[in-house]
Amino acid sequence: MSRSTGMTSANTPGLKHIDLDQIWEELHTGIEHMYNFQSMSRTDYMILYTYVHNYCTSVHKSSEWSSSSVQLKSKKNQATSGAQLVGLELYKKLREFLRNYVHHKLQAGLNRMDEDVLKFYTKQWEEYRLSSKTISGMCSYLNKYWVKREYEEGRKGIFEIYQLALVTWRDHLFKHLNKQVTNAVLKLIERERNGETINSSLVFGVINCYVELGLNEDEPGLKGPNLSIYKESFENVFIEETERFYTKESTQFLSQNNITEYMKKVEQRLTEEQKRIQINLHESTSERLAKTCERVLIQKHMELFHAEFQQLLDAEKDVDLGRMYQLVARIPDGLGELRTLLEQHIANQGLAAIEKCSETAYNDPKVYVTTILEVHKKYNALVLVAFHNDSGFVAALDKACGRFINTNAVTRMASSSSRSPELLAKYCDILLKKSSKNPEEAELEDTLNQVMVVFKYIEDKDVFQKFYSKMLAKRLVQHMSASDDAEASMISKLKQACGFEYTSKLQRMFQDIGVSKDLNEQFRSHLKNSNEPLDIDFSIQVLSSGSWPFQQSFSFGLPTELERSVHRFTSFYSGQHSGRKLNWLYNMSKGELHTNCFKNRYDVNINFIICKKNNVFITCRYTLQASTFQMAVLLQFNMSDSWTLAQLTENTQIKHDYMTQVISILLKAKLITCEEEESELKPESAVVLFMGYKNRKLRVNINIPMKTELKLEQETTHKHIEEDRKLLIQAAIVRIMKMRKVLKHQQLVAEVLSQLNTRFKPKVNIIKKCIDILIEKEYLERTEGEKDTYSYLA
Amino acid sequence: MPYQQMDDKSDVDSQKPEKMFTLKKWNAVAMWSWDVECDTCAICRVQVMDACLRCQAESKTDNYGKQECVVVWGECNHSFHYCCMSLWVKQNNRCPLCQQEWSIQRMGK
Repeated sequence: MSRSTGMTSANTPGLKHIDLDQIWEELHTGIEHMYNFQSMSRTDYMILYTYVHNYCTSVHKSSEWSSSSVQLKSKKNQATSGAQLVGLELYKKLREFLRNYVHHKLQAGLNRMDEDVLKFYTKQWEEYRLSSKTISGMCSYLNKYWVKREYEEGRKGIFEIYQLALVTWRDHLFKHLNKQVTNAVLKLIERERNGETINSSLVFGVINCYVELGLNEDEPGLKGPNLSIYKESFENVFIEETERFYTKESTQFLSQNNITEYMKKVEQRLTEEQKRIQINLHESTSERLAKTCERVLIQKHMELFHAEFQQLLDAEKDVDLGRMYQLVARIPDGLGELRTLLEQHIANQGLAAIEKCSETAYNDPKVYVTTILEVHKKYNALVLVAFHNDSGFVAALDKACGRFINTNAVTRMASSSSRSPELLAKYCDILLKKSSKNPEEAELEDTLNQVMVVFKYIEDKDVFQKFYSKMLAKRLVQHMSASDDAEASMISKLKQACGFEYTSKLQRMFQDIGVSKDLNEQFRSHLKNSNEPLDIDFSIQVLSSGSWPFQQSFSFGLPTELERSVHRFTSFYSGQHSGRKLNWLYNMSKGELHTNCFKNRYDVNINFIICKKNNVFITCRYTLQASTFQMAVLLQFNMSDSWTLAQLTENTQIKHDYMTQVISILLKAKLITCEEEESELKPESAVVLFMGYKNRKLRVNINIPMKTELKLEQETTHKHIEEDRKLLIQAAIVRIMKMRKVLKHQQLVAEVLSQLNTRFKPKVNIIKKCIDILIEKEYLERTEGEKDTYSYLA
Repeated sequence: MPYQQMDDKSDVDSQKPEKMFTLKKWNAVAMWSWDVECDTCAICRVQVMDACLRCQAESKTDNYGKQECVVVWGECNHSFHYCCMSLWVKQNNRCPLCQQEWSIQRMGK
């Protein structure tokens, strides 16, 4: 048949009947030509295409399925009436051809093994695939109409020609040969794993074929493979093989090498497998392969990893620790044990570091805090770099720090966890107090930030607050602050960490100092304007009561020399403010005295002595910096050289026990002498001004804090803390109960703990006591008939 | 043996015989508080030295403002936070403690 007739019949469908036998011979030759991979001209291809077209559009009377087609036609609408779809005969012939072809190839491949079979298989497959694509294209008319109609009618086992080719390959060649092929691929992969270079295009070819063969049988029309063949015939065995290989390898490797080396190996293996997926295998295997490798290489040896982790921590091998983290992080929930180990390790390191220096650290805040910071810094860096700041590891670090900072050798020596906040507050005092060693501003700021790192872990933040405010008060009143900016910066840091309430008193103190500065200036100009200057250099700080941790004044008879100042200022102050009263803290006040006595015979050439000419004696005028109490006592000697303690007590109104301390300091300073021993001072003891007093310095500070004062202060601080805590706990209980109305004991305790944990950790028995107090005060009652339940009384 | 000179306002340099010690300088410290009979405000139950509850809550936003929460005394000599009392008199113009007619005696400054 000529090409032109074919075209004619295409234009007039249904008019001609073409018998398959007439064209099959030529078609067969053409197809064979293609499958032999011989080149074909465009024209020849078009001729074959036209044959198929003509055949499919011809009227097919002798078809055994024609009756069904007619039936269908009558059922369907009239639009399809002219289209008699023809194709079954051609389809059958093509199927027959493909089967024969594939069967023939199978015979050629059956006895091949290993690389040989791979080479054969991939080559044959590639050719078959290309040829089938071409044939499918040639039969596109058949695909588009007859095959499509068959699908629509739900007939099984009819495919588009290319898929027919795939199915044929699968059923008649792949089925018999796939074990050999898969085995060969696996062997090749194993060789690659053993370090040989392989022809990876073979692997790749086979995998591609397997992927393509994964047809969706139920819906052949669906495009794209469904990977069923790939998974069944390759992936499953491949995974098994991988598991076997690495099980063996890891055991073997570990018997000869340490974990450190092993981890490097594992890291390398995991990258290799990842690369293998990218280059040779289908991406869908990626996760399964990774999981398998991880399980075999890491999870199975987890115990070894855990054991090694401790060793690596001890040896500070940060790089290896990082590697271990990377590996173990791949295992779900694998890191838990490492975190626990890390926490324990850091806590132990912290405890050991403090233990080592506990003797000095107990009384040296700087040593204590820097020791803590060194440990923290080291492990913070480790967590940051090796463990990628993994939140679980950060939590472990925090937990460990909390543990060793709040309970350690030093707190044990003090038998109180509040030693930690106390030392930290004292360290702040050292940093912020004026001294010869004050650091630069920037460095100070940095150190204060470091302090805040430790502060974060302190449980008893209320203890810190107490000590801090005491020392801040002293710094401010005695003008001992190194820098106002640093003080303000520290207060704002604390405010940030603990809130407004925590620092409100600190801030108020800070403000009072500023207010006092202005007040002094106003008072000074007031004196100037009044034309009645005071005969002493007077200054004052007026503090608001309630904000400052100072005790009220002691009994004291103001020396007449000071009366005028007090009087003048009091009247000035009440002119400035109204409704206020002033309470003078004489124990906090201090001053300076000049000495006009001590005219002793000295060698004239002592150069730092102020000489009075025309005087046989040389007067040494010393300036004594003294507390107000000391001043009062010394001024008594203007009237007499000698007093008994009882007389002094009466004249100054200073209580006896304070008096003995004042006297003992003066005795130590060698300003006065006494017959009795210092420790045996009695009211009848007489003290005499020592006229031979000398000192190398002309300004002498005799204002040393009294012993009992210091000790008392410490004790009251701790006592105040206990009392304040009870109030805070009660307040928390009332807040909670007011909200909940009725609550079980356990829940109440838990809520109290969680409300207060930013300040301190209340002890459960104290909470119980507070509940009892509140029941007594009728804030709460026990709910009748129910055990352990409280209800709120409005 | 007592000295003859007992005058406490002597000019040190020019007078003779000199005293043993002369006072040069005094740095005093004093604490101020409201001159009240009861140191808690009966209305808000907060110490009068501290700001009243409302002012405390507000100054959370105020960074460095001086708390100007002053005290007020009535003719009955009872004292409260001025803020608290000015709210109270809107409802009831009597002292909450003694029920006397409320009139301001003085204000704290």
